Amino acid sequence: MLDGQMYPFLADGDFEWNADRTEITFKIKSAAKWNDGTPVTAEDVAYTWATHVKYNTPTGSANTPYIENIEAVDAQTVVIKAKLGEDGKAVNPLLVEAYLSTNYVIQKAWTEVLEERVAGDPTALLADPAEDVAYSGAYGKYFADDTKVVYIRNEEYWGQDASMWGKLPAPKYLAHVIFKDNAAGTTALQAGEVDVSQQFNSNVQDFWLEQGLPISTYLPEAPYGIGASLPTAFFNLNSPGLDQAAVRKAIAIAVDYPTIIANAMTNQSATFDQVPRSLMNPTDGEQALYDHDAVADLQWAGNDIEGAKALLDEAGVVDSDGDGWREYNGEKLSYVATCPNGWSDWQAAIEVVAAAGKEIGIEITTNYPEWSVYQTVVTKSDAPLPEEGYDIFMMWSDGAGPTQPWGRIRKLLSSEFIGMPSNWNGNWGQYSNPDADALINAIPAETDEAKLKEMYTELVNIYLTEVPSFTLMYRPQSFHTVNESVWTNFPHADDGTNPPVPPLDLTDGWSIAGLYNLTLVNP
Amino acid sequence: MKHTIQQVFRSGKFVLGFSIFSAILLIVIFYPMFVKDSPLAILGQGTFFPPGIYVNVYDSMSSTAYTLNLPDAAAKRVANKLSEEDRLSIKEWLVAAGIPESEIDTTDTAKLLGQWSANFDPKKSIPGMTNARRNYFIRLNTSLKGLLSTEGATISQTNPETNELEQVDTVNQKDYVNVGEVANTRILLLGTDNFGRDILTELVAATRVSLQIGFVAGLIATLIGLTLGLLAGYIGGLIDDIIMFVTNLFTVIPTFVLLILISFSIGQEQRGAFTIAVVIGLTSWVWTARAVRSQVISLRNRDHVNLSKLSGHSIVHIILNDILPYIASYVIMALILQISSGILAEAGLSILGLGPRTTEVPTLGLMMNWAMIYQAHILGNWWAYLPVLVTIALITFSMNLMNTGLDQVFNPALRD
Repeated sequence: MLDGQMYPFLADGDFEWNADRTEITFKIKSAAKWNDGTPVTAEDVAYTWATHVKYNTPTGSANTPYIENIEAVDAQTVVIKAKLGEDGKAVNPLLVEAYLSTNYVIQKAWTEVLEERVAGDPTALLADPAEDVAYSGAYGKYFADDTKVVYIRNEEYWGQDASMWGKLPAPKYLAHVIFKDNAAGTTALQAGEVDVSQQFNSNVQDFWLEQGLPISTYLPEAPYGIGASLPTAFFNLNSPGLDQAAVRKAIAIAVDYPTIIANAMTNQSATFDQVPRSLMNPTDGEQALYDHDAVADLQWAGNDIEGAKALLDEAGVVDSDGDGWREYNGEKLSYVATCPNGWSDWQAAIEVVAAAGKEIGIEITTNYPEWSVYQTVVTKSDAPLPEEGYDIFMMWSDGAGPTQPWGRIRKLLSSEFIGMPSNWNGNWGQYSNPDADALINAIPAETDEAKLKEMYTELVNIYLTEVPSFTLMYRPQSFHTVNESVWTNFPHADDGTNPPVPPLDLTDGWSIAGLYNLTLVNP
Repeated sequence: MKHTIQQVFRSGKFVLGFSIFSAILLIVIFYPMFVKDSPLAILGQGTFFPPGIYVNVYDSMSSTAYTLNLPDAAAKRVANKLSEEDRLSIKEWLVAAGIPESEIDTTDTAKLLGQWSANFDPKKSIPGMTNARRNYFIRLNTSLKGLLSTEGATISQTNPETNELEQVDTVNQKDYVNVGEVANTRILLLGTDNFGRDILTELVAATRVSLQIGFVAGLIATLIGLTLGLLAGYIGGLIDDIIMFVTNLFTVIPTFVLLILISFSIGQEQRGAFTIAVVIGLTSWVWTARAVRSQVISLRNRDHVNLSKLSGHSIVHIILNDILPYIASYVIMALILQISSGILAEAGLSILGLGPRTTEVPTLGLMMNWAMIYQAHILGNWWAYLPVLVTIALITFSMNLMNTGLDQVFNPALRD
């Protein structure tokens, strides 16, 4: 997550593309075992894919456009054949790679048991609670109800093999407690009932500064965590005036971002001075992908009222009837900024956006519909957004992952989502730019790093010039606050792990490596 | 009339309630004349600044410096950065770093800090030390830098021509500024909230809006209750049956549930302060109607009413002239109670997130709602919610006191 690299875990060494980039080959570790003691084999990987295709699961339907087939060459070796386009090249090599790290391998023997149980019915197959599933991880189910899920360590886990850690992860049980709301979660963290908290705790520094509790975050000082996603304000490009890049940019540069970050996020986001605005998240891996200097002139730190006014004056968007508000084509610029009701940090951010409008002669009012209404309006991309009420609206963007930042950029800029009746991908403002589309299509097949950097820089350039949407803050993949009353040695910046254990909740991706480092405070 | 008022003001309870309420009213009226900031203006960059006087640091550097020789200034300076607990923590570190315990004297600040700066290493890992503890030592180390220095601090500025730092001034340790002479100071008597707004200004504006909501809601509820109660009680018969049927319907549905359902179905776009007031009024008239009806029933066969009937007066005339004056004192008391319960209902609704739209006007309930969302009650930021609670309590307390006072005057059974 932190450096944009994939680390093999079940696989024995890195995967390899063939010379034409049409096939990926990798090996499964010979030590890898299911909890029933049988080895994890290439056949399990191939059968998992075959099952996805056979029952047309969401994973199957999402990947069949890119993956032709997955085959087992021998007990350990797997080959993934990419779907080829008319030019004989893989349609999207990046998404083929992403399959490797975003899908579980399911035991073939167990899958066959399941198929027999559901008698080939795809709906029943997907709905099966899988109580008896075979697993290759270190923990299995121990207890589950509405308030908590508890896992118990598999004492036979193959991670004890000398080729792996040579020992079991430290905790015998992992309990995931489900709280009613953030306040309940915060109280439990304070009381030491929670070791790792992945929720937003406002003013998290008060825990140690004011209350002297043994609580810490990944970074010792603000922003306390590593941002991974970019909560974004989208412009409705069909609203009168917002079809003009000058108006969009003027609003974006007038917004007071330091206040959004200090008040709405209680400083738990990097500022735009620290991490200049781009399409990349603040992790080092993504930041290295574009040329910072090339787009430095297009950057804005916010609160630039005079700059915004100048931009509007230059574009001829002026107040011609003297009522204090600017007009475009004789129509007063008046917008509604919105986000779902009850999403408190977003609401606080939207308030600051609206305040910026008043400063530059554009009327922006706020409105907070219920989420049920909001989501149906925003995700309906087969028709223009409503004329009123959704001129500037907040949605999320992708966090960290194996296809990033390409996946995030696609979802922020690509016009391919326009026309979807239920669009849960992105570009909700319905921005369309053939140059951006061409770059987004070309990136997955590109392997030359210099060329890639050039293409990403060009995309950032388009994003900062055209301003189809603008990021209001950075947000971690999951918040990471730990209470060290019982356990210590949780992942934190510069903790000496290599590769670094990311600040997740120790159950996801490479962060599980952190479980082996935990020690008791008072052994 | 004059006599009645005199009587009312002889009741201690009423006078106390009335003075509290008037004081609140006066503050609400006069405060905005002196502090002209918009109550929703975001002043603070950051959340929940504690109450106090905020003095501009930049301006105080250029203000006239007065030298004061205060005997314990240095000791206070040290104590502010280095508490007893910090000293013990330093000792703990030093012992872990291998200094013999006998050589450590936590009362000798100079020696202790000398040992500390000679031995502290942020990278050193001490067995059993948590990351939180390590962060604490690093913070402590930073704050202790230059603590025992007797030199002043130098103020430098970048010369725009040469781009070099030039010394402008020095600040000595015995320099003081007079707060009155600093160009920019701001008193935040109740600190700021999660948006960085001045809570006192917001609280005053919110009290006004909440009083308005309570007043409108109380007026509507009392008017409906009074009208229906008078009609049902005086006319009786079928009209009474119909009105009591509706009233009973409303009685069995819990008012607050009804309130929640209506507010939710209106949707946030339409939920202004006035709408909320109307909704509260429309759902809380029931008990007034029932009480007025029973009072009227006991009145309608009195001699003077019958006499009026015989004289050929119309129903409206009789109700207004022969019935209403006898229950007027009760109606006034009911109105006061309705206003106070209207304020409480708004607070209750807003705390659930169903109050008026957040951003147009502040209300007492909305202030509580945001303080709760940003966990002020968990983090101990009392100034964000306690003053609001006290205000709500004072308003309702004063109104209830006035009510009890009135009751003592008007209810013969309670008269001393």
